[in-house]
Parts: sequence; structure tokens; C-alpha cells
Amino acid sequence: MIISKQWLKDFVSFDYSTEELADMLSLLGLEAEVDTEIAPMNHVVIGKVKKTEKHPNADKLKLCTVFDGIDTHQVVCGAPNVDAGQTIVFAKEGAVLPGNFKLKKVTIRGVESNGMVCSERELGLSDEHEGILVLDDSFEAGESFTDVIGPLRASVELDITPNRPDAFSHLGVARDIAVKSQQELILPKALPIKSTGNTIIPIQMENADDCPRYIGGIMNNITIGPSPQWMVDRLQAAGQRSINNLVDISNYVLLELGHPTHIFDYDKLEQKEILVRRAKSDETIVTLDEEKRKVSEGQLLITDGKTPIALAGIMGGHGSAVSEKTTSVLIESAYFDPVVIRKGAKSLSMQTEASKRFERGVDPNGADFAFWRVVNLIQELTGGELSSPIMDVYPNKIGAPSITLRKSELNLIAGCEIDNPFVESTLISLGFELSSGKDEWTCIPPTFRPDIEREIDIIEEIIRVFGYDNIPTDSHLYGPYRMGEPDPEAFLNPFRHIMVGFGYRQAYNNSLQNENVSQLSGKTAIPMMNPLSTEMAFLRTSLLPGLIQNIDFNTKNGSPDLQLFELGNVHHKWGEGLDNLDESLTLAGMATGSYSSASVHGTGVNHSIFTMKGILSQMIESHLGFRLELKEAEHSGFSLCWSIVINGKPAGFMGEISSSWMKALDSNLSSVFGFEFSFKPWQNMLKGKQTFKPINAYPKVPRSLNFVMDESVRVGNVLSHIKQKGKKLLISAKPDDIFRDEKMGENKKSVTFTLEFQSPVKTLEDKDVTPIIDEIIDVVSNKFDAKLRS
Amino acid sequence: MSLKDKIESVRNQFLADIESFPTSQQEIEDLRVTYLGRKGQVASLFSEMGSLSAEERPKAGQWLNQLKNELTEQFESKVNEADKGSKSHDPYFDPTLPGIAPPLGSIHPLERTLQEIKNIFTSIGFHIAYGPEIDDDYHNFSALNFPEHHPARDMQDTFFVTPDTVLRTHTSNVQIHLMENEDPPIRHIVPGRVYRNEAISFKSYCLFHQVEGIYVDKNVSFGELKGVLEYFVRQMFGPKVKMRFRPSFFPFTEPSAEVDIWSTERNQWLEILGCGMVDPAVFENVGYDSSIWHGYAFGMGVERIAMLKYKIDDIRHFYQGDIRFLEQFK
Repeated sequence: MIISKQWLKDFVSFDYSTEELADMLSLLGLEAEVDTEIAPMNHVVIGKVKKTEKHPNADKLKLCTVFDGIDTHQVVCGAPNVDAGQTIVFAKEGAVLPGNFKLKKVTIRGVESNGMVCSERELGLSDEHEGILVLDDSFEAGESFTDVIGPLRASVELDITPNRPDAFSHLGVARDIAVKSQQELILPKALPIKSTGNTIIPIQMENADDCPRYIGGIMNNITIGPSPQWMVDRLQAAGQRSINNLVDISNYVLLELGHPTHIFDYDKLEQKEILVRRAKSDETIVTLDEEKRKVSEGQLLITDGKTPIALAGIMGGHGSAVSEKTTSVLIESAYFDPVVIRKGAKSLSMQTEASKRFERGVDPNGADFAFWRVVNLIQELTGGELSSPIMDVYPNKIGAPSITLRKSELNLIAGCEIDNPFVESTLISLGFELSSGKDEWTCIPPTFRPDIEREIDIIEEIIRVFGYDNIPTDSHLYGPYRMGEPDPEAFLNPFRHIMVGFGYRQAYNNSLQNENVSQLSGKTAIPMMNPLSTEMAFLRTSLLPGLIQNIDFNTKNGSPDLQLFELGNVHHKWGEGLDNLDESLTLAGMATGSYSSASVHGTGVNHSIFTMKGILSQMIESHLGFRLELKEAEHSGFSLCWSIVINGKPAGFMGEISSSWMKALDSNLSSVFGFEFSFKPWQNMLKGKQTFKPINAYPKVPRSLNFVMDESVRVGNVLSHIKQKGKKLLISAKPDDIFRDEKMGENKKSVTFTLEFQSPVKTLEDKDVTPIIDEIIDVVSNKFDAKLRS
Repeated sequence: MSLKDKIESVRNQFLADIESFPTSQQEIEDLRVTYLGRKGQVASLFSEMGSLSAEERPKAGQWLNQLKNELTEQFESKVNEADKGSKSHDPYFDPTLPGIAPPLGSIHPLERTLQEIKNIFTSIGFHIAYGPEIDDDYHNFSALNFPEHHPARDMQDTFFVTPDTVLRTHTSNVQIHLMENEDPPIRHIVPGRVYRNEAISFKSYCLFHQVEGIYVDKNVSFGELKGVLEYFVRQMFGPKVKMRFRPSFFPFTEPSAEVDIWSTERNQWLEILGCGMVDPAVFENVGYDSSIWHGYAFGMGVERIAMLKYKIDDIRHFYQGDIRFLEQFK
């Protein structure tokens, strides 16, 4: 909400700069920023347009003679609305306008122009630049623009939190300033007046819970016309355009008191009565904005007994709206139930100045004040007369609860002693009724503060006014120690460090994807009921698609060699409800191009399934000491695929990303490799304690075995047989070299295995190792039809 | 052969053997043992001293010591040369060639920032708790004192999975789970991914990462809340940073505050976190007696802290996986 500084001064006196005002309000809990503040500008003055003529060489330009209080100047002006007799803002030669625009004498289409007649935008007041700014004629030519217009336009913008309906008005904001600065709050004039007539119309509510109070009043002999300049200025400063005196009055009172009122054209009411009721099925209303709206059943309506004439608390109807011809009106000042208004506005997807205030809660006991304020202004500005007595239907008066405030609780929450006189004066000036007891007060909050229901709400008010910065900081730690590892996800840290150590960069990708991408994994993705767009309508079921998109993006941006990883949650469901979905912490890695590039030192290493296998092996086997099995598997995401089994628990997949996935993600890359596994299946095995094992100081005995075997024999299978036979003495076995030669025969390969033996209890001798070697030779020769080469 | 001749012969043989000095450590050691070992050639010549006459012995001793010194010296100088590496003998060896560099990895800036936040709070006794990203309306809203049909619900644009199930809009749902499962005192921070149904721009994204904190004990004051957050902010942004607490509103805390830090660069206050005293209604919802227990809670966006800390101007950078961005964070 935009708050005019000048308007505030009607209710409380202060002399803060606009910036100081914003700061002060912010520190009271009304977050404020300077909205308009006119910086001092030299040579920009009020001017009078003496005459205008057509520009001799341009149809759209005019030659104006402008009087600046001392001299007259010839100015070329292109604004369509410039006219003789106007009071305008004149920027003289030498002026510097916002945006560092310096005015110089120029020649426009052969005619000299000395200065400029300004639009709002040129003055930095608003974005308005359709025409020049025309001022009230009461301003004298030659007065400084900054001096006379500056104070009228200065304003701050408030971001009002849902607990402060009272601050949705100039009066409410002024009250906070008055409380903080211990000034008096001056209320606007809202005097009950006597009616000249005795017309009474029936006012009924179908349900007094929906509309606890409805005040109506009829005024006649209204003359519609322009609003006075002071009202136009105020509305403008608060960001609203003036329409006519009658419409402006209702808007003005809304911004001033925060209580929405509505003015019907009395003559347009088909039936002279008011019935507030819920909508039946299939009712429609054309609202003020000329939209025909179908209202849902249960929507609260103002009707004339039969037809809807307004959406209660939201917007008036077009049929009963005031116009230039209006002479008599029905004024409505009501209080509606906040939840009813909120539901109604939500179901229509509408939010208006009125609905915003009603759904937060206006003051039911302020409806009459707002009514009289409107009546007074109509009388004053349109010549209208009150022709009915006030018709105030308020069957059950709404009060505020009585709340006990304990001094002990206030001091405990604050962490310091706040003295009684401060508590009392603050609450009284906030509008509370107060009676003090022993170390406590009984408080009745004002009904314009429906947010205050409990002791803690009052404590907040006191501390807020006391000032958070005045509460001493307590820099001590209290409370018991807490045992155990502080971070239940500390086990993830080594995985991140290992990935980074291996040259992988961590990515964070969006969890929201389109349907196709999210369903690629074959799992059922969880959809949003109200997605931002179809591109972000489902939760991801796998981290791989995001990484594929990262790889593709970076390749297109000139980085062909990539290693990326992500550690995050994926979701899927197998039914409805929270019990039928899974959230799983998952690690995925992906790489393409070369892991180490070819250089003067030799050929590089390209990524392949073996670089993936190597990472997994180092991470799972070497680092964790867990059993890693990679089993050939089928997975739509991988063209070559192995399932990852950790300590016997299936945990994920690795391999070369399939072309069908690349295509689904709009990438034409190939040779992209990746893995993904979740922690859940085996995470509980990570809790084992690490203990020191004595260092084995007995020498290792190396042996080499070279077999010639068929190409079809898989080295991994041979190795697992070697390891089986090696028993506990074989501490490592790996293929060292694979060699092919025609002499060995067709489709044959020679594989050299390097074995290491070591005993934890003695130095191994030949007689210990040889029998094992013999067994290995035996099993490999027989199982794989391999021949030992000597 | 006289001793003198034998000495000569051993010397010549030695010189011939070291001419092509071996490269393997084993062969070098073998060479040393052959000549200079305890049972080596020099030692065996020394052992022949016993068969010499008393007059001959001093002279022979002198010769043998000379031989021993000479061989040792030569051997060691050869070993040193070999240590320098065979390449140093290569006149065309070029040490200016670039090194063989392993690829560099990097931790995501949000991970780094989160780690820093965790470290600061665990250093003052906080534990860490985690909870679900998909939760029911009750844990995300109602239990946190967001009444149904209250404008407070508009403060957070929500993604709904079903009318009663949401993508959490904050990690505050975890404080409810935590208090439902544990008795006070409680002192935890809760990091995690949260979602907001907001249009994507340079300053907002459909998700972000939050760290919420909660402390519940018998006597907990706003003064302590100020203390813990001043500690956090100064650890994070430097001991001299200017900060302020400004009244605000969150349904689950009262009194509530926003914390701003002063940016000398932008010459303005920047909001960095929200906080307040736990609202008694929240305690009642989890079955804590609010006449006994008090507490404070706070919440911050990891993205916001990272953006301020690293001067990142567009939140979308975090989620694009662009290595030109990622590689800047080591």
C-alpha cells in the first residue's frame, strides 16, 4: 500500500524525511520503502501557458508561450494536451531533470525552443508520458516545483503482513507513528448529522454470521463533478487516479480509514431494499469492471431482494453503479466475515482493495465512523443531503476478548525488564482498555486489531514498540549437551569428497521436470496439481536426465570433456497418499570426452564404462570396504548396462547412456557414461566402526601367470576363479597385459595375471605358494580351456 | 699374485663394472655388496692381511684403506648421479613441458554455503535434522499455525500434489515432526529443499534450499535469539557487519522479526533471514505445554546467503549445471 506523507500529517505531527519515515515504519513492523521523493531540481518552476499556436513546420508540434513568473519563453511542445491557460511545470534552460537530462536552448524544425513543458515521467513522478502534467491553477507561476509539489507527492510503499489489517490505512499507520513517538493521534472528521428526510428501506441479512453488520444511508441532491485538488493530490500520491467527486470519496475513505464502503446509485435499484444472502446456483452478475461473472453457489451477495447488485466485500455491480448522472445514492458501510470474503474472492480469482481488507478483518465497530466520514464528505463536496436516518443493522455486537498479560511472561520472552509505565502507555495509545492487577494487567484490545487474541500477541505489540534493537543481546549458550553425531547425513560427506577428488563437479538440478522426462526411468513420477508449466509438472524420478541436460548444455558451450555429479532426492509413487510414495537420496555421476586428455606425455584416457567402474570400485570397495557386484542388466537409460549391487543389495545402475534417452532429452551426443545409485538399501550398513588392523610386515610374494585362452573367455570370470583358489594368502590378483599374436592361433589371446601372496603370520616360502599356483593353473586350464605359457 | 696386484685388479674390475652403472635399486645394491659388502671383495682383501708379515701390514693397511675409500667415494658419486635421474643426462630433456594434471572437481556453491551454515550452528550445540519434501497440509501449514482460509497462506505460493498434500514450502514441517517425536529440550537446524509456485526470474526459482533452526527450552528469550543470530551473521559475513532486527510476521513465531544486514556496496539494508519466538499455538499442536516451554526459531535461504556472499546476481545460475559457473567454486 502506498502511504502519502502529507496525508499522514493530518493525523500525527512529525518532521521526518521520507527516508527516515520509511526506516521508522520498518522498525515498527510495517516494512516500508520510499516510493516517491522529489529530489531538489533547480530551474524547474511552476509556469503558465499564455498562448499556443501551430508550429509553422510541423503538424504535431505547438509553439507555446510560457510565463515563469518573471519572463515569457517560447517553447516547442509535442504534447497533445497542452493548451493556453494551463498551469504547468516548466523546466528552464539550465535545468537538470532526472536521468541527468540537461536542458539547453535548441532549435526544433527551424523554431527556437527555450526550455520544456514537462510530463510526469520527465519529472520522475511516474511513468505517465502521454501528455504534460497539468496542475491546479492555484499554484503561482515561478514557484519552485520541488518546494510546492515535493511535499504533495512524497510517499512510502508498505508491504503489510497479514496480521496487520489496521495498517491498510493512513490512519492506522499514523497510529503506529503516534504510539512510537508519543504524539497524539488526531482523528478525521466523521460527525453524525441529522437527516432531512425519513426514507427507510428494509435491510436484512440471511445469516448474521456472514454479515454481522450492515449500515445503509440514502443521500439526495448530489452533484457529480471533479474532486477538489487536495483530494486529487492525495489520491495521486497514494497511487490512485481521480475519477469524480463521488467515486473518489469512497476510495478516499478506504485509503484513509481502511474501511471499505460502497456507493450504489439509489435510482438504479429496482427494488428499494437490501438483502445480504448466499448465491444460489446459476446466478450471474456484471461487476463494475463490466465483466459478466458466474458466481458459485455460496458466494455472498448484496441483492435488492431479488437480483444481485454487488459481490459482498469484493466489488459492486455494474447495474447499480454511480455515473455522471447520479443524484441520489445508497451508502453501504458493512462488516463481512473474513473467511467468507476470502473464499468468495478466491473462487472468483479476484482480489480488490475491498476484499484485501475484509479478508484480513476490518473493524466491525468502525463501520459507523466510516459511514459518517463518507456522509460528511459527500455533503461537503457534492452538496448531497442525508435523506434517511442511519440504518444500522447489527444484531450481535462484536467485542474483543479480555486477555491477561503477566509481567513475568513479558520479561521472560523479552529477556529483559520492561517497566510498567512503558507497558501501560504503549497499550493505551494502541487503543487497548487496561486495568492493572498485581504484576499483571487485564487488557481488552481494540476491535480494529482482530489479530490480538492471546497474551503473546500483546507481548509482541509491546516489544515491537519498545524496539527490537533496544533488547539486550544475550550471547550465552544455555541448555544441556546433546549426545551423538550432530549430522545424521554426515555419512554423505565422503561421497562428495571422493567425487570431487576424482575430478567431478557437483551440480544441483531442478526437481521439477516435464512428464516425458520424469517418466523416462520407468517409475511413476509424482505430478503437481497446479504446476508452473507443463515443463515443470512432475517430480524427478532419477538424477540422470538432469545430468544429461547439463552435459549437453556444456558440450554446446565448448566443453567436450566433462565429469559431473549430483547428490539429491528423487521421488516416485506406486499409489495415492503419503504412504505410497518414496523419497530417496541418490548419487549420480556422469562423464563424457576424455578423463585425461592426450598430451605431449602420451595418449590420454577417454571416458568409458571402465572409468565409471573404476570410480564405483574405488568408492564402494576400496573406500567403504563393501562388496560391489556389477551384474549385466537391462535399463532403458543405458545401452550397455550393469546393475550396481552393494553388499548384496541392488542399489542402482551404470553404463553407457542409451541413444533413446539422449534423444528424449534433445541431445545428439554419444559416448556419455553414467551411474546412479540410492543409499537407502544399504545405508544402515555404513554405521560400522572403523578399527585399526595390525600392519602386515611379512614380505609379499609376487607371481605372474600367463595363459593363452579363447577370445570369448572373460577375464573377470578367470579372475574370480583365481581369487577363489587363492584362498586367504592371495591378497591381490589382476590382469596386467593382454596380448594377441597370430602364432597363438586364431581368436586367441594371451593374458598375464599378476598375483601377490602374503601371510599375516609368517614369511611365505615357495612350498607355501607353489601348491596354490598349481591349483590355480589347474582350474584355469580346465575351466577355460586355457594354456599356460612359460 | 701379490696383494698389490690383487688390489689393482679389484680396482680395475670395479671401474669397469660402474662404467655402465645399473639403474635398478636391486642391481645397485648387488654391486655394493660385491665390492663393499661385509663379505665383498674389499673385505676379503682385508682378511688376507692376517697372512702378511708385521712389516708388510702397515703398508698393506694403507693401500687397502685407500682402495676402500676410493671405491666408496666413486660408488656414492655414481649413486648420486643415478639419483638425479637418467633424464638429466638426456641433453634434450625438457622440463618446461606442462605437467600431467589430474582433472579438478568442485563442490557446488550451495553445498559449500550449507556446509558453512552447518558448521557455525553445530559449533554452538545445534544438531541437524532432516525431513520429507512431500508432506501433508497439517505439517506444512496447520500445525505451524497457518489457519485454513487465512491470508497468511498467501505468503507462500504452494505446489499441491493432492488437495491435502504439498511440496513443502519451508523446512519448518520438520520442526513439527521433530517435536512430535522428541521431548524438549530441542536444539536443531533443518536444511533441505523447499518449493514455491513462483514465476522463475533472476531473483526467484520454483525451488530453493532453506535452513531452519529451532531451540526449545524452559526459559528462552528474544535476547538469546538475538545472540545466536548475531553470532551466525558475524561468523558468516564478518565480525564488522552491521545488522538489525525488524518486526515482522510469521504464523509460527511471535514476536517475529526479519534480520537485515547493511550493504555498504548497495547502500541499503538487505533481508537475510526471518526469525521469532515459537508461537505457543505450535507448542500446543505438538503436545508441549506452552506454559513451561519457550523457544525461538529462524529460517534462511541458502541461495540468498550464497548470492550475497559470492555476489551472484541471478539465482538461476545455481541450477543450470554450467561448468563456467561451477568451476569458480573450489
